[in-house]
Amino acid sequence: MGSLTRKKTLAVMALSAMIGLLLLPIVVSVPALASGGGAPAGGPPPDVVKKEGGEGDKDKKVEKARDVYYKTEGIVSGLPAPKTGDNAKDYPRYNFESRVLLWFANQQHLYYGSFVLAVPIFCMVIEFMGVMTKDKAMAKKYDQLAYDFIKISLTAYSLTAILGGILIFTFLTLYPAFFGYLSSIFRPVMHIYALMFVAESGTLYIYYYGWDKMKEGFLKWIHLSMSVILNVIGTVLMFLANSWIGFMMSPAGVDEQGRFLGNIWHVIHTALWNPLNVHRILGNMAFGGGVVAAYAAYRFLSSKTDEERAHYDWMGYIAMSLGVAFLIPLPFAGYWLMREVYAYRQQMGITLMGGLLAWLFIIQATMIGILFLSTNYYLWQALGRMRGAERFQRWIKYFVFLLVCGFLVFITPHTMVMTPAELKAMGGQQHPVLGNYGVMSAKNGGINVIITTTVLTFIWYQRGNRVPSVSWSKFGNIFMGVFFFFAYVNIIWLAIYGYFIPANVRVGLSVPQVATTLSCLFFMTALNLSMLKGAKQIGPIEWGKISVRSQYALIMLATAFTWMMGLMGYIRSSVRLFWHVNEIMRDNSPWAYTHTVGFAANMISFNVLFFWISIMFVFWLGTLAAKKAPVEAKAPVPGQAPQPAVGH
Amino acid sequence: MSALNNPVIAVIVSVIIAVSYFTLVDHFLMDMQGLDYWYL
Repeated sequence: MGSLTRKKTLAVMALSAMIGLLLLPIVVSVPALASGGGAPAGGPPPDVVKKEGGEGDKDKKVEKARDVYYKTEGIVSGLPAPKTGDNAKDYPRYNFESRVLLWFANQQHLYYGSFVLAVPIFCMVIEFMGVMTKDKAMAKKYDQLAYDFIKISLTAYSLTAILGGILIFTFLTLYPAFFGYLSSIFRPVMHIYALMFVAESGTLYIYYYGWDKMKEGFLKWIHLSMSVILNVIGTVLMFLANSWIGFMMSPAGVDEQGRFLGNIWHVIHTALWNPLNVHRILGNMAFGGGVVAAYAAYRFLSSKTDEERAHYDWMGYIAMSLGVAFLIPLPFAGYWLMREVYAYRQQMGITLMGGLLAWLFIIQATMIGILFLSTNYYLWQALGRMRGAERFQRWIKYFVFLLVCGFLVFITPHTMVMTPAELKAMGGQQHPVLGNYGVMSAKNGGINVIITTTVLTFIWYQRGNRVPSVSWSKFGNIFMGVFFFFAYVNIIWLAIYGYFIPANVRVGLSVPQVATTLSCLFFMTALNLSMLKGAKQIGPIEWGKISVRSQYALIMLATAFTWMMGLMGYIRSSVRLFWHVNEIMRDNSPWAYTHTVGFAANMISFNVLFFWISIMFVFWLGTLAAKKAPVEAKAPVPGQAPQPAVGH
Repeated sequence: MSALNNPVIAVIVSVIIAVSYFTLVDHFLMDMQGLDYWYL
């Protein structure tokens, strides 16, 4: 009894310490905010102080300037952005392109960073499911799964920190002028980032090492609360990092010379900050789900026993489901980000979607198509682990037809890459045939057909081994069929309608198209679940009895996602063209040009390959720990070798 | 509810609900953006 009380006291103290660490940066910032919006730590630059001192206190003169984005006036409290030159002082270099070195360091840090931010969110969700589940065996399974997840991310967490260190050294060594300017602008919040990092590490280690000590009752709730705090810290960290890239793309809080105007909130809250936040959270989750699913597939393929295969099949399914749940809204968040880019600077949007970088978006569309095709393929294969799902096999060919049609419309380009002679022969950029295709209206129709079909596949999967037994099941089935039919009709009709109305009306059609897809997702999934209450079961789900091909689909899903993340990061970064900070600080290095599509694709492939080779090492370390555990324990660990589940 | 389980009635009711729903979605979501869905 005394031991339990001590445990409780220690747990509450640990939780309080985490909350304290979380609040510490805010407390530290209060004095700065109270004195009028957080002047940069260290006061104004020396030359301003000198000027003020020379003029005496009576007629103290402060210089004011106008914010480039918010158009408000503020007191100049920083130095202008440095005007760099192509020299060894501003751009020290090795005999290699500095930008490529930075690209590599940045991309690897981002891959690992997004993975270790996503996995604790999964852990929180799965641990919560375990706590809420009434079935004791399932609760243990969920708990073991959450523990497996966090175990993978712990090694990755160390690698993330190492890569972060490498990234800072790369910045300081190769781009000192730029990094000096950016860190001077963000000086009021730089220490918050560092403190958050300490809080994240502390919370993560207590969360992981305290798992076994806090397994039951009240202590379990404390443990679950820690995962919430861990994720709040992780999210704040990411939002702060996003504010740097938001500032580089759409600067605010500075005047046209790049001088800080004293309001750090304006610097953080730029035009693109929130769209980037939403898009990146969803992207991290989908990416994390993909990586964990690939880990499960790797373990499934190397399993020696049926029990192991059953566990890793289930783990892969859960990870894939969580990843795809966030993949579905991801294109809509991306669309919002693009709309905000157009609203901020129309020319930037045109460079992205209709100019220099447009063909990269065709590659992106191809990758999105591959993601959804892989997801559908996995779910069709997963029907194989259910008895009674054979009745759905004959419908798959129609789904393939719908997906391929949507995919082909989605990847059709609007313009061709042409030589000047070809352009002249054609009399302009517009191809006489192709110019009619590949417009946004049609592409939106294509992707919405793909997503709606994925929703339909998922509903099929939910039905796999069950037959609805509610009294209104006949009406429910007919209503669901009719609703999906008219959803397809509405999506395709809106895509065609867009060809007959002016562009300013056409852009609005994307909203009802998205609403149609989301209606199918929310209403039909809810209807299906209510129809399946008390449904007749044809046979159990036989976890582990699934084709090997399905596991390769999971690996394909994860690899395609990694590649696409690298591609979209490159697009977002290169849209600044020859600016370090858009329209404020010019990039005068020899590498301010935009790479060819081919070089960029090779570089992205190299980054993906490096990430997967290094994460295979992390996976391998995970298997070492798993092999070691039974030797030490000498007794079976509860939940270590779960029985095949009957629900999902 | 038993009348709704009649396939003919079920189809008619479902079509009326689905067509009305999607037409209203199209109209109001365009209207919210200050655009005219019935432009053409």
